[in-house]
Amino acid sequence: MPTIKEIKNQLSNKNISVQELYNDYYDKAKKSKLNSFNHLVDPEYNKENINSSQARYDEGKDLSLDGIPLGIKDLFCTKGVPTTASSKILEKFIPEYESRVTQNLLNDGSLFLGKNNCDEFAMGSSNETSFFGPVINPWKNKNNTDSQLVPGGSSGGSASAVAEGICVASIGTDTGGSIRQPASLCGVVGLKPTFGSCSRWGVVAFASSLDQAGPITNSVEDAAYLLNSISSHDPNDSTCSSHKRDNFIESVGKSFDRPITVGIPSDYLKDINSDIAEQIENTKKHLSKLNVNIVDVEFTTTDFALSTYYILAPAEASSNLARYDGIRYGYRGEGNTLEEIYVNSRSEGFGEEVIRRILIGTYVLSAGYYDAYYRKAQKVRRLIKNDFQRIYNEVDFILTPTTPNEAFQIGKKLDPISMYMNDIFTVPTSLAGLPAISLPSGLSNNGLPLGIQLIGNYFQEKSLLQMASLLEKEFCFNE
Amino acid sequence: MSDINIKKVSYLAKLELNEEKAALYEKSLSEIIEWVDNLKKLDTEGVEPLHNITEKSQNLRNDEVLKENSTEQVLSNAPEKAQNFFRVPKVVE
Repeated sequence: MPTIKEIKNQLSNKNISVQELYNDYYDKAKKSKLNSFNHLVDPEYNKENINSSQARYDEGKDLSLDGIPLGIKDLFCTKGVPTTASSKILEKFIPEYESRVTQNLLNDGSLFLGKNNCDEFAMGSSNETSFFGPVINPWKNKNNTDSQLVPGGSSGGSASAVAEGICVASIGTDTGGSIRQPASLCGVVGLKPTFGSCSRWGVVAFASSLDQAGPITNSVEDAAYLLNSISSHDPNDSTCSSHKRDNFIESVGKSFDRPITVGIPSDYLKDINSDIAEQIENTKKHLSKLNVNIVDVEFTTTDFALSTYYILAPAEASSNLARYDGIRYGYRGEGNTLEEIYVNSRSEGFGEEVIRRILIGTYVLSAGYYDAYYRKAQKVRRLIKNDFQRIYNEVDFILTPTTPNEAFQIGKKLDPISMYMNDIFTVPTSLAGLPAISLPSGLSNNGLPLGIQLIGNYFQEKSLLQMASLLEKEFCFNE
Repeated sequence: MSDINIKKVSYLAKLELNEEKAALYEKSLSEIIEWVDNLKKLDTEGVEPLHNITEKSQNLRNDEVLKENSTEQVLSNAPEKAQNFFRVPKVVE
């Protein structure tokens, strides 16, 4: 797959026009059978943007992402373009404003090819909770080529589309692993930045203390290009950091001029299968070749992370999703009174998993249970954060598997807790708000892609991408 | 087993569940709550709850009125509207 840099060179050298490039991706996306887009933006609608992008290339004044066709998870408000969160309740919603992240991408010249399918309100780990049907992973199990596999979730449409090559890259969101887990299962790169790097303004809210936008790409360098665009301060998001952002591309591919130590948490590796263990062993060999010190580390809070997450995230979700009442926007159910409209709109508009999370959240926040669950989980969240900080006194990065398994079959109907276990390696990082990247590291016995997760310290995306780029070169996954 | 009153929880969440769904969710919630109950094993005496992960002071804006949306835009996605208002069933007699 060509990188953003390579495509930009093609456009600069006039080997292809912006219009031809867009049409090329648009046609491929239209023909795709993997259901990775909820909505495609036809070339006519994008004509003005395409023309101004071409004009900038003609003048040699192209912007950092000029003419690059991107997928956008259907969770970002895009002005005039349907934004559904893959839910019936927002099926007909057309935003009147642009999210900060997508506005940044437009300001840098990129073109939006369409809105990527995802789990409903980003709640899921297999993209099967979408109102618009499951997304299919482009990869096939070589020992069972008939079965269709999940792409992971919740940014499953983004990961599937990037892996299939029907958009150059996509922007997803990650609350407990929703960028990294699908990236791993689809063999692409997925970066969740530090909480507070990218504005949440205009992103359909799931769990506000955890939600973060990030790129899903075919290379680490592409992730750096996109992060340069989407990471910026925004006065409209009070949790968005105001510090000056690094240039994330500068260090990609360069060796470190200081000794680097990577910690591998032994408690993460307790019950992993042989496919996953092999990824870690293999990564260790490559790290040694790169002269990286490897040390064993051990967390004391790992066993409590999923429980903490499944109290906090649903609690925040139940509060955030209270806004869907059928009055101001979204689906309205029938009713003769306000109360009936509220209840019918919500009961008919939300899908099964979203209702489950709202119910969990409502329960843990309700009178008599708040201290026992919600407040308790917030305390444990601090212990988890402290646990990471203790380990960062000794190491530069932490290496873990991204997922406990390869992509599984669509329709397998996992019970909720088994499904939640998919995020066992990604959730602790989310709770700690740390940046983490999933990098394709190899194939399973069934020939399916697997990824490793590298976790950095707060706002250390620049060195995290640098480390990832060095490993990427070692893995040669795309060759 | 946990003591989940699914009728009460769904009432608070403004969700209506038929008998069959109520039973399914009650079972599912009980299992999940039992699963997360392992937190009780952790001693959190004296630990401050963590609300904002980066724990930097929040960047607050000046309290200024900005006019970024027109009435028409605000109402553009309303399921029902009348003149410049969202339309709902009569709420006062």
